[in-house]
Amino acid sequence: MPYDFDETVGRRRFLRTLGVAGAAAGAGALAGCTSRIGAYQHDIAASGEGAAAWGREAGEWIPSCCNMCGGQSGILCHVVNGVVEKIEPNHWNPNNYSNISTDFFDGYTEEYGCAEGGALCPKGNAGIMQLYDPDRVQRPLKRTNPRKGRDEDPGWQEISWAQAVDEIAAKLRALREGGEAHKLLWWSEDHSFTHIQDDFCQLFGSPNYSNHSNLCDVSRKASFKMAMGDDRPLSDFLQSKYILLFGWNPTSAIKWVHLPRTLTRGIERGARLVVVDPYLSDTAAKAHEWVQILPGTDGALALALAHVIIREQLYDHDFIANWTVGFAEFSEYVKDKTPQWAEKITSVPAAAIERIARELATTKPACVDVWSGPGQHSNGVQGGRAIALLAALVGGYDQPGTLLLPDKRGNKHAEVEPDATAERTLDEPRYDGVKDFPIGHKSGVYGRCWERLLAGNGPYQPKVGVCVFQNLVMSGPGSSQVEAALKKLETLVVVDTMVSETALLADYLIPGTVYLERYDLNSHWVTWPVLGLRQPVVKAATRQTSPFPYQGGIFGQMAEYEFVTALGRKLGLRTADGTDFFRLGPASRQPIEDLTAWYEDYLSNELQTGAPKMTLAQLKQLPGAVWVDRSGTKYRKYAALIPAAKLAKAFVDGDITVDGTAIYDKPKDQHGKRIGTVIGGRPIRGFFTASGKVEFYSPSLIGKNDAHGRPVDPLPVYRPRDWQPDAEFPLYLINWKEASHTHTRSQNNAWLREIKPSNPLVIHPDTASRLGIENGDEVWVESRHGKTRAVAKVTRRIHPAVVGAQHGFGHWRLGRGAAGVGTAFGDLNTVAYDALSGQGLHKEICVKVYKA
Amino acid sequence: MNEDPGVRETLERDPTLTPCERREMFGVLGRWLGAALAAATVSRAAEPAPAAQGRQRKHHYGMVIDTRRCVGCRACVVACKAENKTPPGVAYTVVLDGALEPRIGDKPLFMTKPCFHCENPACTVVCPVGATFKRAEDGLVVVDYDRCIGCRYCITACPYGARYFDYGDDYPARSDKTPYDAVPSPEYGQYRKREPGRSPIGNVRKCTFCLHLQDEQGAYNRAAGCWPACAKTCTGKAIHFGDFMDPESEVSRLLRERPAIRLKEEMGNEPNVYYLL
Repeated sequence: MPYDFDETVGRRRFLRTLGVAGAAAGAGALAGCTSRIGAYQHDIAASGEGAAAWGREAGEWIPSCCNMCGGQSGILCHVVNGVVEKIEPNHWNPNNYSNISTDFFDGYTEEYGCAEGGALCPKGNAGIMQLYDPDRVQRPLKRTNPRKGRDEDPGWQEISWAQAVDEIAAKLRALREGGEAHKLLWWSEDHSFTHIQDDFCQLFGSPNYSNHSNLCDVSRKASFKMAMGDDRPLSDFLQSKYILLFGWNPTSAIKWVHLPRTLTRGIERGARLVVVDPYLSDTAAKAHEWVQILPGTDGALALALAHVIIREQLYDHDFIANWTVGFAEFSEYVKDKTPQWAEKITSVPAAAIERIARELATTKPACVDVWSGPGQHSNGVQGGRAIALLAALVGGYDQPGTLLLPDKRGNKHAEVEPDATAERTLDEPRYDGVKDFPIGHKSGVYGRCWERLLAGNGPYQPKVGVCVFQNLVMSGPGSSQVEAALKKLETLVVVDTMVSETALLADYLIPGTVYLERYDLNSHWVTWPVLGLRQPVVKAATRQTSPFPYQGGIFGQMAEYEFVTALGRKLGLRTADGTDFFRLGPASRQPIEDLTAWYEDYLSNELQTGAPKMTLAQLKQLPGAVWVDRSGTKYRKYAALIPAAKLAKAFVDGDITVDGTAIYDKPKDQHGKRIGTVIGGRPIRGFFTASGKVEFYSPSLIGKNDAHGRPVDPLPVYRPRDWQPDAEFPLYLINWKEASHTHTRSQNNAWLREIKPSNPLVIHPDTASRLGIENGDEVWVESRHGKTRAVAKVTRRIHPAVVGAQHGFGHWRLGRGAAGVGTAFGDLNTVAYDALSGQGLHKEICVKVYKA
Repeated sequence: MNEDPGVRETLERDPTLTPCERREMFGVLGRWLGAALAAATVSRAAEPAPAAQGRQRKHHYGMVIDTRRCVGCRACVVACKAENKTPPGVAYTVVLDGALEPRIGDKPLFMTKPCFHCENPACTVVCPVGATFKRAEDGLVVVDYDRCIGCRYCITACPYGARYFDYGDDYPARSDKTPYDAVPSPEYGQYRKREPGRSPIGNVRKCTFCLHLQDEQGAYNRAAGCWPACAKTCTGKAIHFGDFMDPESEVSRLLRERPAIRLKEEMGNEPNVYYLL
């Protein structure tokens, strides 16, 4: 039950617990005006023994990083008698406080950390219930029922770790020895232990390592990559005076826990906050202005804003002249993208567009940003690109109070050199054909995978799938199709802490770790280099010995990286020079038998070769176990000269005296990374686009096709998204995230369920009354692909043409608390992805709603 | 607000009541009991108990909560659960997110709402066994679980809904006997292990401003992490906690500098939690 304060009752459960007569009797003790302070006071005896055994001085406080979501905020874990008793914010980790270094260091002390102390969101506080969830998978399970489906009991048989590793390795060995290593598909979460999985796939010989990002924000990545060459610029709310957010809910879909503080501080310091969203999100609740927009039309709004700014010459002339290309073509394109044009598309009044454009362009500095609201539509990439260019128009890059270029130097992933056997299958095309996506991302395209598995029309037929810390079935559009696709594999291995809907289809279900049981290095998404350590704060009572020695989580289970290492050893995977990769410590260059110790050495190597230049043991000793580069946030990095030392080792792709020549850290065929461009005759960082500048118009895109074979627009052309409402399915259906839950993975967490037990379907009162729906009614939500039941919540917080709900509920498994609660919308769509970036299209659904 | 206007008028016209008594009537009784008790003459003033005598007011703890900074995330609710080990259905702080009528789009106003540790608490005086009281030395309103008989009069009396009854429910991590079941609640420094049939099951529970984190002098130490759990975790840094007796404390300064409101001021309970709007 949520803690709703009912004004008409005044207290919870009043009627249930007490009759009026009883209360009246108690009123005999009512006092008069005399002070009540101290009345009836007596001593309440404390327990000195209890305090000694369990108080704050007892046990240990272990610094680490959260992983309840991908935000990775710093935590301090109070561990007493081997139990995590409390989790608190880590004051030394900037991610918990500010993404701007001057703000973080203002009042910082080594003893206490940041001046006001860090913060931790509800999910971070609830990590204890994730760790001690009695529904967790504790031992490896093997399927005995060959039939797979939502209603099929897998007939789990408990097996030993040795047997699990042996049998899975045997299946993989058969693939590899048959020259079919590429027929292994691998899906992973995108923040944890990704490098070791990538290494495994490389050394094994599969090009098919993919991860979560393509379900999340690769469209944003593509939008910015096209416009300004960086994957993930970061908002500086704190120093901004005008913050314009398109479909982003930073104070509720928190991710980095500094966001609620930095955004509200920005407002306190004078920023105006304008939120464009079909739903009055919890962030829009903090805004001065909520711009109610139709889903998937944000790009049109951005173009109209640009139209007004250019028409009235309010743009940043200096930035446009020096740091951009293609402004003339863009100006020409937006000439007819008038506010009146946009009003018809977006439902935002033209007068509001005129006014917001003037405010945005004349209030400096302005921060314009966009995330997954507009992004998860079929026109999301170009829409996001228009927004990224709107930011450029008002000079909004890498100045205080704008969008900052990240500087994310942290641990370094040492690339492995696969042996000849692996090389042969690595040359096979990726199964998902990510190369067909002109702005595709290394995380791959899950949707393409499912489509090809179902149709059997990929470049080959994959045989084995390994899914680590992902719930593919619930996470993508088209849940039923994802299930059907996964069933095509001969063997599916799932590593998870819970029996997720995906785990339900597994042939082998391997117990995973909660983040409190394992290591990771997290280079944080603040604006200067910061790296936090995740470390096991609880472990098995005794070290495990089979099939290799390792420490073990609370059930004696391997951490995910140990499982991968164990498989690598069983398979005897070696690098090109014959090194027994999964046994030889990468830092010590000594054989290490213990899996945990080997991974510690692996991490030490990443730290020593990366920016921190220290060992794992040294990182553990830092305050809060976080390395914070003291040089701090830098601005106008794009104008910086490439240091001579760096330039000396660089690969110059052409003539260094010619403007526009690109500069890489090493040759392109050796995975060289772009580090700069020759601009004005000087080698500077610039922007990592083809031209080295922000591109309003990209000639390099001319002649390219998207994954559906359509030419790519070199301008951020607005096209309506593919799926539009019609007479039969007249409403847009969207979804969002809130602070209470992470994706589809936290709904069995008892504390989080208590603050957010379910996800009602939010509907506008005008729409509801037209449909005869009242608050709390059970309704059907039906699309052309399927229907599902929901409970209506009637509020003006949503656009009348739109219905929506928090994502993540409606499980049929996961755990006893999550199953059967709330609504999942995955079956209302088929597998759907964007043809430019491969982004999963979660928010492009049209429905009708009627009383159940 | 909550009072039935008819009752209010009746009480206001009653010449036998002092203004102060009238105010208390509103505060304690609310709409349900007002009429029933209007005729009762209520006069027994509470005497300070022997244990309270000689205790000087050393602290005046309270909170100033900045609604502009509260983002409604409910980290405070969960952090409080984690700190005090409260069972399902018991939350010492909750977050209101009601829509304010004149605002467009049913725009919510987020407010976290712990116990207000009122200067003039309505809850303590209704206790038939003297189990709950306002401490003389620091003003905290507490419950002695060993005395509480679970009658729940105090729940009715509190106009703010800040008190909860412990029905003995448990989260799966306890009911299924995971290692977490060993963890006791630090409340009142008692470190009670949760056991069926034992207090605080069957008692009324409420926010203590995490008084178990006070030192022997009754002081909190923020640098050492000895600070109310909700304030420590707050993502917007909206919850300011401190001592109103110290004019230099953050809470005193905020009240000097910024206009603040208290909820249901007209009830006369004089809450020690203020809201900045």
